[in-house]
Amino acid sequence: MKKALNLGTALLLTTGLLAACGNNSDKVASSATASSSASAPAEKAEPKEVELNVFIGAPRFKDQFDKYFEKFKAKELAEKNIDVTVNLEMPAPEQARDVLKARLASGDAPDVFDLHATQDIPSYYKAGYLTDLSDQTFVGKLYDGVKQTVTLDGKVLAVPMESLSWGYLYNKKMFADNGITPPQTLDEMKAVVEKLKAAGQTPFLLAYQESWVPQLMTALSIGGTVSSEQPDWIAKMNKGEASYNDIASIFDIIDLINANGSAKPFEVGSGQGSTDFANGKAAMWIQGPWMAESILKAQPDFEFGVAPLPVSNNPAGTMINLATSTSLAVSSSSENPEVAKDLVNFILDDKESSALFEELKFNPIATVHNYETFPWIQEATAYVSQGKAYLDLQMPQAVTDEQAKLLQSYYSKDVSKESFIKTMDATWAKAVKAAGQ
Amino acid sequence: MKLRSALITFILLLCAVFTLFPILMGLLNSLKTEGDMMNDILSIPAKLEFGNYADAYHKIRFMNSLGNTVTVAAVGLFGIIACASLAGYKLSRTPGKLSAFLFGLFVMSMLIPFHSIMISLTIIADRLQVQGSTTGLGLIYIGLGVPFAIFLYHGFVKTIPRELDEAAVIDGCGEVRLFASVIFPLLLPITATVAILNLLWMWNDFLLPLLMITHIDDYTLLLSTNMLFGQYGNNDWSAILASLVLAMLPVILFYLILQKYILNGIAEGAVKG
Amino acid sequence: MTPSRKWKRSVALIAFVFPALLFYAVFTLAPAIGGAWYSLTDWNGLNPTYSMVGFSNYAEAFTQDPSFVKSIWFTLKYVVFIVVLQNVISLTVAVLVESRGRGKAWFRTIFFMPNMISMIIGGFMWMFIFTKVLPTIAAKTGLLFLDQSWIGDPKYSFFSILVLSLWGGVGYMMVIYIAALQNVPQALKEAAAIDGASSFQAFRNVTLPLIYPAITIGLFMTLNSSFKVFEAVFALTGGGPGRATQVIAMNIYEEAFSFSNRFGYASAKAMILFAIVFVITIVQLVVMKRRELEA
Repeated sequence: MKKALNLGTALLLTTGLLAACGNNSDKVASSATASSSASAPAEKAEPKEVELNVFIGAPRFKDQFDKYFEKFKAKELAEKNIDVTVNLEMPAPEQARDVLKARLASGDAPDVFDLHATQDIPSYYKAGYLTDLSDQTFVGKLYDGVKQTVTLDGKVLAVPMESLSWGYLYNKKMFADNGITPPQTLDEMKAVVEKLKAAGQTPFLLAYQESWVPQLMTALSIGGTVSSEQPDWIAKMNKGEASYNDIASIFDIIDLINANGSAKPFEVGSGQGSTDFANGKAAMWIQGPWMAESILKAQPDFEFGVAPLPVSNNPAGTMINLATSTSLAVSSSSENPEVAKDLVNFILDDKESSALFEELKFNPIATVHNYETFPWIQEATAYVSQGKAYLDLQMPQAVTDEQAKLLQSYYSKDVSKESFIKTMDATWAKAVKAAGQ
Repeated sequence: MKLRSALITFILLLCAVFTLFPILMGLLNSLKTEGDMMNDILSIPAKLEFGNYADAYHKIRFMNSLGNTVTVAAVGLFGIIACASLAGYKLSRTPGKLSAFLFGLFVMSMLIPFHSIMISLTIIADRLQVQGSTTGLGLIYIGLGVPFAIFLYHGFVKTIPRELDEAAVIDGCGEVRLFASVIFPLLLPITATVAILNLLWMWNDFLLPLLMITHIDDYTLLLSTNMLFGQYGNNDWSAILASLVLAMLPVILFYLILQKYILNGIAEGAVKG
Repeated sequence: MTPSRKWKRSVALIAFVFPALLFYAVFTLAPAIGGAWYSLTDWNGLNPTYSMVGFSNYAEAFTQDPSFVKSIWFTLKYVVFIVVLQNVISLTVAVLVESRGRGKAWFRTIFFMPNMISMIIGGFMWMFIFTKVLPTIAAKTGLLFLDQSWIGDPKYSFFSILVLSLWGGVGYMMVIYIAALQNVPQALKEAAAIDGASSFQAFRNVTLPLIYPAITIGLFMTLNSSFKVFEAVFALTGGGPGRATQVIAMNIYEEAFSFSNRFGYASAKAMILFAIVFVITIVQLVVMKRRELEA
């Protein structure tokens, strides 16, 4: 009740602010109408200066966003006579979430910030950090399936950017040279590994310096196992009635990968990993197609495919993971909500958006995207249309973080399977308790 | 005897090479293109490539970050010297239980590790609205830095003859004027030590700015460098090395110019501590 | 002294001390007391309410938190190595440098230089050395032992962290020891030499006792700083892989700021760190003072 009240006040405040803006900026409003009717000479009015703080934890896309926001500036100046300065802040992905959380909690929120739709929207919405964007023009352009992933309580709360259908990546040439097709069971995967090794090639690329990369192994193996065999496992974990012991089979594939991977994994970050993978250092990489951009930067005509990771000898568990990650939200405390909303609308601009998404190697998510989809996306989509896909699991953030650390330790043999399971059970219980507090 | 002397020189030279090795490797490779570097890390750059520096200068927003670092250090340094010299002098001159208690209170805190108080410190800083600003960060440094500075002043004041103050009082000097015009100038040697020790500490401290500074516009040199490192990871070393060289340039210059005072300050601070 | 004069004196004292006391109370004392208080609660850092949980946080830290206990052992191991190595090396280097004539100033300048550089920057530079330069040297010279996973394998990364810490720390102690050595009267050393003592004997029996106070300081400072190590590990390994090289300070940081935001629980860990440092420092000071008196 209290939370709802807070949200109500926040919304009231926002609308109040909007009204205030409207009053103060008659000039802007009139010049906007003027330019749209394209008749009055009022265009000469001094442009209104607005500063927007934008926070996106994806520094590898800095150039693309810088360029795109330049276009936004030009458009905003031409159409609304607003001179926007975009302060783009791009912290490292590993720190971004902490920094953002601290900023939000201390009331120093950026006007527009990125979040992981599946993981962050519920808690940020509950805390009252997000602006309702349901009435914005971009909403009508979204594909329905994608729209669902950014909607809560019937409100659209962010503009999605990265819609993912992912598994692991494989080097098409190396697969073809060895006469391999993506395996559908664990035994088939073992055979592939042997075949590659016999050919003197490294089966898996390991890039474990950043702990989120090994975490992808648990994301996929738990996802596949739970979705195919124990659909109520998450719910039972939340009630404290299940254990990682129930899904201990996830270690079968993890052990296989760790035992047949490239050397010195802790000195390879995701950037270096992309370069190595593009240069054919290993045949497979447990990594999503979101790395496509940096892989192709290293080797522009490199060909890779996306395939679902086998987790057991039940081919039903070999599935593609569907998720929406990077999405942009507007802060509920933004001082320039109108301009901020213009910016998120511009992400799906009729003219410019398609080129941006293509350049970022993102999947098309809206009707405005008319570029040819990438081969690896078609491949993943083929699995999805056969029903071999599941929606990304909703695990507490603390659980994902702990898995990431533990997988590093598990590789370096600091942590045994047993203590991995024990620690995860305890972490999950604590996270549930903390959320209920 | 000759042989032994040569051996000692050799050992010292070896140590010197070890000490300078990372700095030199960093400098050399920051002047190569990424491609040249990958070809041969150990070679001397064939052609000096300053592009990395232009790039790093821009990426760590060098002037802005430097300005922030200077602001933090200036606020902190001024506050520490002003507060600690007043307190250290008076505590040293005043006998009695109250004085001893206050002095003990300050000295005691030198045993508290920073990490033991950092959690509550972020909460207090947040409540007082000093979190997220460079000036605020400087103020926090005052609170953390005064105990040791008071300790140094306290010890030094004992070496100044009491007759001096008394003569000034008889002259009709007020307490504060007495301090400003007579005492403080006498404290200059120890003030130099206090200044050097605290400047080095604040300039090179990483964790407190990491906790307190949230906005990129307020980033200190270290925060900017750390952010750049996080962005390019283990991948684009020539650009990273250039940023590291840039970030350490100010302190190295400072060191080479004021070396004598700095080394004296270190020894003084330790002996008194 | 009349009561009024005494009172006046106290007022003057308070007036002079007040600015320092204010900053100190707000930014050091209050957080220390606050930390002790929060350590008895289950506060999560965001909620306005929390409840007292007694010493259960402390119990949990010791019994149900293997990574915290492991970080304590790891830190202790680090402290032992650093305290011994840093002091032995610094003292040796100081003696050697002091024995030089003209080169003295140069060596001193070079050896102290790393101390001017933040451990964050030094750490990143050493990371370059460990991950790029050493493998290259190994490939070129055939010194294959240099080609290890210096950062990634916990067996070697402990060593890498030591190298970085010593690189950054030896110069500081060296300056202190040089200052102490310079205070040893030349006449005494010469007298020992005339008595036919070897230079090692002279050092042991004449110089060493005289610089004992400096060694006390050196031990005190290295002990204190090595328990609080954070930046060297942060820059080089980030505590990883996993938590293999996590030190106490980092474990506290992670608990409070990056994973669970369990401020109450993290505060309990912070108090444990304080207790460890406090006890060890006091014991060390008492022991050294006694030995100094005996010597």
